[in-house]
Amino acid sequence: MTNIWNRLRHEPWIWSFLAAIGVWLATIAYTGGQGAGEILTAALSFATFSIIVGLGQMMVITTGPGNVDLSIPATITLAGVVAMKVMDTDSARLLLGIGAALGASFLVGVFNYGLIRLLRIPPIIATLSSSFLVLSTAISYGRGIRIKPPLPLDSFATMRILGIPLAAVFVLVLSIVLAIVIKRTLYGRAVVAIGQNPRAAWLAGINVNRTRFMTYVLSALLAGVCGILLSGFSGGAALNMGEEFLLASIAVVVIGGTSVAGGRASVPGIWGAALFMYLLVTMLNTFGASAGVRLIMTGVIIITVIVLAGGETQSK
Amino acid sequence: MLKKALVCSVAIAAALAAGSAFADTKDKKIALSNNYAGNSWRQSMLKSWDKVTKPAVEAGIVAAADPFTTSENQVTEQAAQIQNLILQGYDAIVINAASPDALNGVVKQACDAGIVVVSFDGIVTEPCAYRIAVDFAKMGEVQLDYLNDKMKDGGNLLEIRGLAGVFVDDEISKGIHRGADKYKQFKIAGSVHGDWAQEVAQKAVAGILPSLPEIKAVVTQGGDGYGAAQAFKAAGRPTPLIIMGNRQDELQWWKEQKDANGYETMSVSIAPGVSTLAFWVAQMILDGKKVPQDMTVPFLQIDQANLEANLATTEKGGVANVEYTAEDAAKVVAGN
Repeated sequence: MTNIWNRLRHEPWIWSFLAAIGVWLATIAYTGGQGAGEILTAALSFATFSIIVGLGQMMVITTGPGNVDLSIPATITLAGVVAMKVMDTDSARLLLGIGAALGASFLVGVFNYGLIRLLRIPPIIATLSSSFLVLSTAISYGRGIRIKPPLPLDSFATMRILGIPLAAVFVLVLSIVLAIVIKRTLYGRAVVAIGQNPRAAWLAGINVNRTRFMTYVLSALLAGVCGILLSGFSGGAALNMGEEFLLASIAVVVIGGTSVAGGRASVPGIWGAALFMYLLVTMLNTFGASAGVRLIMTGVIIITVIVLAGGETQSK
Repeated sequence: MLKKALVCSVAIAAALAAGSAFADTKDKKIALSNNYAGNSWRQSMLKSWDKVTKPAVEAGIVAAADPFTTSENQVTEQAAQIQNLILQGYDAIVINAASPDALNGVVKQACDAGIVVVSFDGIVTEPCAYRIAVDFAKMGEVQLDYLNDKMKDGGNLLEIRGLAGVFVDDEISKGIHRGADKYKQFKIAGSVHGDWAQEVAQKAVAGILPSLPEIKAVVTQGGDGYGAAQAFKAAGRPTPLIIMGNRQDELQWWKEQKDANGYETMSVSIAPGVSTLAFWVAQMILDGKKVPQDMTVPFLQIDQANLEANLATTEKGGVANVEYTAEDAAKVVAGN
C-alpha cells in the first residue's frame, strides 16, 4: 500500500484526482449523502467536454513555451453551428454534418498554423485573432438560429448506461488512444521532444514544423468534436456555447500536471482536473456560496492544487 | 445651361425637403456603439436596428445610422470606439454600454463636443447622457407575483442568475429575493449562475440538482430556461414550473409541453427592439424635441394565452421582439 502511494505521489496528475475526490466528499458530507451518485454522473457528463478540448490544448502546450490555442471556443461554436445546419435535424445527413464540421475545424487548424508559420505571428496573438474571424464566420453562417440535433446524435450525447454517460466512454477511448500516441508513436515523441528543446529535436532530425502543424490541426479537430457533441447534448448550437472553454481548456491542462513550459504531457491529469473543476463549482453551489466567495474560493483552491503538484515535482 | 438647370433642381429639391416634417435631422448622422454581439438577444437587437434605421435613412429622415460593435466586450475597447465616433463627426451616439460608469469619461467628452448620447439596456450613469432603462428588479419581482397566483402552497425555488458582477444580474436577483420575502411560502433552496446561456445554465443546474429537495419552480433571468429544462430531464426529475425568458427555443419548448400535457408558465424579458426606441429618441432630441433624461421601457411579458401569437412572430433562434416606429417612440417618451 505504501509502495503504491510512494509511486503515485510522484505522478504529476495524482493531485488533481485527490482534489476531485476531496471536493466530492465535502459535497456529499454537506448533503448528508444525498445525490452522491447523481453528482458523479453529472460531473462525468460535463467534464467530457472539457476533457476533449483539454487534450488538444495539452498537445499544443506540450510543444513548448508560447504555444497555446486560444481559438478553441470559436472553433467549438463554428463546428456546432456547421454540424447542426448541415444535418438540419435529418438523421440521414448525420455523417455529412460531422464531416462538414470536422472539415471546417481542420481549416481553422491549418489557418492558425499558417498565421504562426508563414506570417511569423506569436501563437497567442495568431490564434486569438483567428478566433475573431472564426466566430464571425459562425455568426454570419448560423445567424443565431438554434437547430435541434438529429435523434441519433442527441441520444449518443445524452445516453447513459448504468449511470455512466456513453460520451464519457467515447472520450475515455479517445484519451487512451492519445496516451498511446504520445508514448509510442513517432509523432507523439516528436511533440514531447520539441517541447523540451526544439533545437535539439531539429538536430536529431525531427521535422519541427510538420509536428507543430499537426498539433494545431489536432487541437482544432478536437475542438470540432467537442462542438458536435456539445450541440447534441444541449439540444442545438448557440453562438456563445464555446465561451467557457477558453479558460477551462487551459486550466485542466495546468491543474492536470502538464508542464506549462512544454515537454511533458499528462492525459490522466486532464480527467482529474476536469472532474475537479466541475465538482468544485458544484460544491460551492451546494454550500450556497455567493458569486464573489465562489470566485475567490475557486482561485484559491486551484492555486493550492497547482502548488502542491508543482512542489512535488521540484522535490523530485 | 445644363449645369444651371441641375443646380436649380437641386435647390428646389432641397427647399421641398426642408418643408417636410423631418427637416432638421436629414443631414444628421447617428451611430450605434454596441459592446457585444455573441448571443441571440444581441443579434436580434442588431437586426432590429438595421430593419428600422435603413428605411429611415432611405426616407431621408437621418443621413446615416451606422452600427458599430466591439469584438471583445471590453470597456477600454468601447471607450476607444466612442472616441473614434466623436472624431468621425456623428451628431448622436446611441450606446449599449459594457459598464454603467467606466465609460462616463468618454461620454462626457462626447457631450462636450455637442454630441447627443442616448444609452439603453446597458446604460451609463454620466448625467449628460440620456438613459432608456428597464426596471430589472421589477422583472424579477413579477415572477414571484405570478408564482404566488399559481401555487398558493408555495414550495422550494431554484434561482438561475445571470453573469456574476453585472449590474443587470444584481437587479433582477434583488427583485426575485424581494418577491420571495413578500410571499413567505416560497423558499429559494438553491442559486446558480447560468450566464444567460442555455449550456452554462444546464451545466450549473445539473450540478446542484442532486443536492436539492423537490423543486416547485425555477426563477430565471432569460436565456437559461431551456437549459434548466434539459437538466431536469437528464436528472430524471419531474419538470417544475420554469419561468422563461422570451427566447425562441424556450417558447418552442413551452409550446411542446403545453400541447403534450397542458404545461403552464410565463415568460418575461426585454425586447431587443429597444435599440430602435433609442434610435428614435436620439432622432427626436436632434430634432429639438423635449425628451426626459431618464426613461423606463416596459418589459415584454408572454402568458399562456398569447404564447402562440408570440411564437409565430418570433424568428427561429431569435428573441420575442417589439420594434418601435417613430410614433411608438413618441408615445413612450410622452408616457415617461
